[in-house]
Amino acid sequence: MSAVPTKTPQPGAMPQEKGKRDRGELGILISSHIVLIAWSLIVVLPLLWTVFSSAKTTGEIFSGPFTMPHDIIGTLKDNFSSAWNDSHLGRYLLNTVIVVGIALALVMALGSMCAYTLARFPFPGSRAIYYLILAGNTFPIFLAIVPLFFVLKNVGLLNSLPGLILTYVAFAFPFTVFFLYPFFRALPAEIGEAAELDGAGDWRTFVQVMLPMARPGIAAVAIFNFLGLWNQFLLPVALNTNEKNYVLSQGMANFASSAGYEVNFGALFAGVVITVIPVLIVYIIFQRQLQGSLSAGTIK
Amino acid sequence: MATVTYDEATRVYPGADVASVDKLNIDIQDGEFLVLVGPSGSGKSTALRMLAGLEEVNEGRILIGDRDVTNLSPKDRDVAMVFQNYALYPHMTVADNMGFALKIAGVPKSEIRSRVVEAAKILDLEPFLDRKPKALSGGQRQRVAMGRAIVRSPQVFLMDEPLSNLDAKLRVQTRTQIASLQRRLGVTTVYVTHDQVEAMTMGDRVAVLKDGLLQQLDTPRRMYDHPNNVFVAGFIGSPAMNLLEVPVTEGGVKLGSIVHPVKRDPLAKTGDKVIVGIRPEDLTPASEGGIPVEVDVVEELGADAYVYGRTDVGGESDKQIVARVDGRQVPDKGQTIHFVPKGEGDHLHLFDPESGERLGD
Repeated sequence: MSAVPTKTPQPGAMPQEKGKRDRGELGILISSHIVLIAWSLIVVLPLLWTVFSSAKTTGEIFSGPFTMPHDIIGTLKDNFSSAWNDSHLGRYLLNTVIVVGIALALVMALGSMCAYTLARFPFPGSRAIYYLILAGNTFPIFLAIVPLFFVLKNVGLLNSLPGLILTYVAFAFPFTVFFLYPFFRALPAEIGEAAELDGAGDWRTFVQVMLPMARPGIAAVAIFNFLGLWNQFLLPVALNTNEKNYVLSQGMANFASSAGYEVNFGALFAGVVITVIPVLIVYIIFQRQLQGSLSAGTIK
Repeated sequence: MATVTYDEATRVYPGADVASVDKLNIDIQDGEFLVLVGPSGSGKSTALRMLAGLEEVNEGRILIGDRDVTNLSPKDRDVAMVFQNYALYPHMTVADNMGFALKIAGVPKSEIRSRVVEAAKILDLEPFLDRKPKALSGGQRQRVAMGRAIVRSPQVFLMDEPLSNLDAKLRVQTRTQIASLQRRLGVTTVYVTHDQVEAMTMGDRVAVLKDGLLQQLDTPRRMYDHPNNVFVAGFIGSPAMNLLEVPVTEGGVKLGSIVHPVKRDPLAKTGDKVIVGIRPEDLTPASEGGIPVEVDVVEELGADAYVYGRTDVGGESDKQIVARVDGRQVPDKGQTIHFVPKGEGDHLHLFDPESGERLGD
């Protein structure tokens, strides 16, 4: 064994080399943290500014955009009650929660079932169906607006929440299937067979065995769909023109445009905060699942 | 507990020309431990999966006891299976994994718990009942997979290479545990492996498969002493049997410079050549005469040593020969040694060079 030539470092050279490596690592550590800090500031500062501005009057905002608010509690109360009551944001928030909540539940249920079936049960035409759904991803929603308008009008669902829910489900469905398909495909076949031998039917295998195993993927696509649908603007503007049924994004746009030059900016920022908070809450709840989705591939 | 019968059972995969399992006939007795062994692609796993109901039976029948299960779904067959990769449910605890089948069957919770705990005791899994499979070692996961099968007390255990993901030492240990557990529970077991050592050490009987065809079904002892054909002879035993094609002469077979006597009857059935099978332990060094072997490698195992060498025999040059020698008198590399068969030919196996079938008994 001693005949094998190896590059043995001279004694004393080791610590020096190690020190060099440490310095290199330290450099990477520092520069990466600088980038991360800068990035965090870019993301966090506008949010903080929005929150602060929601505690100022319009006059305060214009006279000193970056000063601290004078009367935090009082102005905050005024702005939020003005946004909530006068601009009907409370109503719009409820509409949004109903529409996005039901649409999300429907699209996750239908999408996961569809992806599971396509991924695990080959049948004639299954590939064609899969590619058709993939094609749905590439279809620009702008082109569908006018036909969608007439379809909803003909079935009598135009300007109604159920109509918007249906549209959202169809809108989010292709991506959901596209995203979940590889998750179900990657699950080991033996686990399905083990469930079969244990006496589980197809439905129980799906709900109690396969679905929990695909949870990271489901959480990821659920949060993605939630954000997309929560912030959806184009579809409701075109298909939901009844002011009573407005969703938050419409309400905010209406708020900013209807008052002309007399916009109550303090209340507008309060409205933005109301819009953002539910998203933050959902994200915090799902955050752990999302982290799971990143490491799921390493678990055997 | 029940018998298992493969009756002309055949499986042809869609689009394939050749059957993966071709007219398989095996009768497995109640409580028997049967090992299906063969190289990869031999159809052993397919045969097991046919019994499990995971693979369609295209022709023939499969019976468990007197019940024809050929067209029953897996859950109606009352069989439990241990998979090669264990197939544990990753999101369930060990206890839930083991009790899942009982839960589906509607067994009361308290009874599930007691049966799970009982199985866990047998398998030393009690401290781990509330853990997820992720937090277990390979050997522990393997035992959970076993436990999942035991808890159900099925009529038949099916095991598909359950030891192949364990390290060598644990494999040997678990091998004994599974065999003794099976004897204790007395449940009919069909065990698939590609490892002939597992087959020999665990099975009451061993079935050797090749290309979907059953080559031989016998006890390990009989399989070793009386291989039915060249394939079984080469497959069972480690290191493998030496198979030499040699000329038939008056009074026996010509092995190098000597004529080794064999019975006349078997030789009458073949032409002027015959395949002689000699196990490594049946060769012994001779001072001169016999098969000259040039030593390539010597594997020393302590008590014994295996000599791997080359010889020119029966017109074939550089034919590899393995022989077992005394571990304390090991030849050097490059040395030429003469080997002769031990005894009077009673440990010699003769095979037809055309068909590969065994000649004589």
